Amino acid sequence: MKHKLFGLVGLLVLLMLVASCATAAPAAPAPTAEKEPAATSQPAEVQPTEEPASAAKENVFIYGHPTTFPDLDPAISFSNDSAVISNCYETLTFYNPPNSAEILSPVLATSWEANDDATEWTFHLREGVKFQDGTPFNAQAVKYSIEKTMELGMGAAYIWDPVETIEVVDDNTVKFTLSYAAPLDLIASSGYGAWIYSPTAYEAHDTEWLNEGHCVGTGPYSIESRARGSRLVMTRNDDYWGGWHEGQFDKIVFEISEDPVVLQQMIEGGTVDFTYNIPPDNLASLSTRDDLVVYSNPSFQNLLGLLNTQKAPLDNKLVRQALSYSFPYAQFIEGVMNGRAIQAHGPVPAGMWGHSDDLFQYHYDLDKAKELLTEAGYPDGGFDLLYTFATGDMDEQQVGEVWKADLAKLGIDLEVRGMTWESQWNLAKSGPENAQDIFAFYWWPDYVSPYSFLYNMFHSEDEIMFNLGYYRNPEYDNLIDEANALSGTDRAKASEMFIQAQKTLVDDAAAIFFYDVANTHIARADIQGYADNPAYPHVVFVHQLTRK
Amino acid sequence: MYRLEYIIRRLIMAIAVLISVSIVTFFIARVVPSDPAAAWVGSHPTEEQVAQARETLGLDRPLYEQYFRYMQGVLHGDLGKSVKTHQPISTDLKTFFPATLELVLVSMLIAIVFGIPLGVFSGAGKGSLLDHTTRLLAIAGVSIPTFWLGLILQLIFFGRLGFLPLNGRISTEIALYDPISQMTGFYLIDSAITGNWVAFKDALLHIILPAFTLATYPLGLTIRMTRSTMIEVLNEKYILAARVAGISERAILFILALKNAIIPTITVLGLSFVYSLTGAILVEVVFSWPGLGTYVTNAVLSIDFPVIVSVTLLVTVFYVFINLFLDLAQAMIDPRVTL
Repeated sequence: MKHKLFGLVGLLVLLMLVASCATAAPAAPAPTAEKEPAATSQPAEVQPTEEPASAAKENVFIYGHPTTFPDLDPAISFSNDSAVISNCYETLTFYNPPNSAEILSPVLATSWEANDDATEWTFHLREGVKFQDGTPFNAQAVKYSIEKTMELGMGAAYIWDPVETIEVVDDNTVKFTLSYAAPLDLIASSGYGAWIYSPTAYEAHDTEWLNEGHCVGTGPYSIESRARGSRLVMTRNDDYWGGWHEGQFDKIVFEISEDPVVLQQMIEGGTVDFTYNIPPDNLASLSTRDDLVVYSNPSFQNLLGLLNTQKAPLDNKLVRQALSYSFPYAQFIEGVMNGRAIQAHGPVPAGMWGHSDDLFQYHYDLDKAKELLTEAGYPDGGFDLLYTFATGDMDEQQVGEVWKADLAKLGIDLEVRGMTWESQWNLAKSGPENAQDIFAFYWWPDYVSPYSFLYNMFHSEDEIMFNLGYYRNPEYDNLIDEANALSGTDRAKASEMFIQAQKTLVDDAAAIFFYDVANTHIARADIQGYADNPAYPHVVFVHQLTRK
Repeated sequence: MYRLEYIIRRLIMAIAVLISVSIVTFFIARVVPSDPAAAWVGSHPTEEQVAQARETLGLDRPLYEQYFRYMQGVLHGDLGKSVKTHQPISTDLKTFFPATLELVLVSMLIAIVFGIPLGVFSGAGKGSLLDHTTRLLAIAGVSIPTFWLGLILQLIFFGRLGFLPLNGRISTEIALYDPISQMTGFYLIDSAITGNWVAFKDALLHIILPAFTLATYPLGLTIRMTRSTMIEVLNEKYILAARVAGISERAILFILALKNAIIPTITVLGLSFVYSLTGAILVEVVFSWPGLGTYVTNAVLSIDFPVIVSVTLLVTVFYVFINLFLDLAQAMIDPRVTL
């Protein structure tokens, strides 16, 4: 007994010793040869036992990712998996970052045109492109992918709802006939549900196979391996139609860590090249470092407080306007959000077509609010309101808590209640008389169109899905429907009409337009070519990057 | 004879426990206000998608029928799919369970190897400097919050000294150029079997900090438990008799006394082991360890009921069998238990 015990202790001590000696070699940081060794004091490289030299020279981009990838099936995925999927699959068109000359640029389609009423769309396809499994990319493949996605009906498949038939005109031309006018070129650029995949491979395999770590797109990278919950490795597709040049990355590694502090240490220590979701309070200290670059950009996601427009007292426009004047926008964004947001101009986020900075913006003015309340017949407030937020969302919670204090000054008692998202949603759908007064609600578009915001949250609905403030205004409905029909053919006119519709919403104070969320990403300073594109949130198109 | 009857009795009880646990978890998970169909279709669903999902998932059937369908699947090894990620749960468990098991086993090893001798010496030299130091260590072990300790250890050993890796089970470059072939899912074992010593060393380095962090609680517990029972046992007359007989002090401590003193420690360690399977969540998150704790916590947060029920069943199976094993071990050490 004695000997065994001491033997065990001895063994463990020995292991520890081996461990501490061994640290001179690989330990943690310095994952690639190109990486600056500053993070560790040991310049020593791991010398793998086999085929070391060529392997170690590979240029690897490491993305410290805060979530796992739930679904790698391009027909179904509607979540954070875009970070992986968009490096492997491609769409017909691409939505350019804000301030680009054109809204869209060609990817798998080289050009496209629509008939006058935007019900027939013809896409001319890129020639000589192959899927990663060798299947040729052609009109047949486009028809298959989109029909399959529609048939499965999962994820964002509904974006194709207007499509009635898809016709293969010739090998490189495909024609869509729609049942009503829609901007199919924009729909085709969606980061969800619009990926084109190999018909052969998709027929031969199922979702589980894809989720094991396979992909069958036309994109620059393919999945090499996947360790569920911890790591995903992509490797370059040498036959990529877009070609390769010096300095581009050979591999992409996604290292998953759900702890924001750990992600921060990873980017600081140089074990990853790119990350997001680190504690907001620590961003300031990161932006002072020479070896890191902090990118902060407005996203296409915004936070609104949907107001129950069919229940007293919020059925009164004056009361809704008073509420709009009672939230301390600037102070909140500065003090609580640390600049991770910008105050919204209406329901369509900045940077998106159909947004206007000239739209009226409510500001914090309790006197004005009091005046409006008096006019509405509530000089001393004297009513209660229920504000619900998704449990766990600190930002939504803080909006409620900060607002509560200001509303108290107007004699309004705000109950701030956290609920699971689904129960919050069910409460809101249970009819205007039972529903909460204010629903803290995020929206972001599937494909980039103001219609996504204006239709889903404010268009009259017989069966309520997302118009959770029960807003009803037939004139407004007609205006946005008409604008949507035009948005495929006359985008300038459509944009004007969408802005007109937003004026109505702002004047009606149909919601509190709290803020547009700003996305913050952190990259190592030697990463070049990165530009945030809010149409594809948290996606890095690694093919565009190089290392200095 | 007694022993066989005892085992059978315990096995029947184990099955009863499993059935009750499955019923209770299934119904609680389904009764809480949530809509699995809405979770299944994602964030911007259409009404048709929700309705279709309800049918696909069988949620339109009566609750008892859903339970029987689910249990039928379980008995055939099909744990269903997560409503949040659509992944087959059994595939997920094959990844996450070995990761947690490896971590917990190593931490238990640390607790036993260090805890028992320290407890023995501390108990034997009651009031000595060693005893005081050990007691302090034990109290610290059970009271320091693990996530805090984990972060501090990371700051020191990764941030300042650069001795040990920050997180994960294996470094990026090993994963790229010397990948471990998956056999048991235990990286230390898989790399050792295949003779991939670079990966073995890397995996060992990666497991040190999380295992040590996770071990602090059971380590403190082992020390305290062993110490107090040792003090009790050392006052027994048979120990006095052994001393009079001139048996060496080490033999008295580690053979005669420990044999009787170790039973409560084993029980506590067994329970702490099972607890760690899902209770290691904080350590797992801090060290990005892809384990069961993180998996089930995410499932609970999103009310992913098939995952919650499956993990609960798995852990219950472990709990029941570890308990059974412990009872048998005790019966072996002390046959009076079977009476």
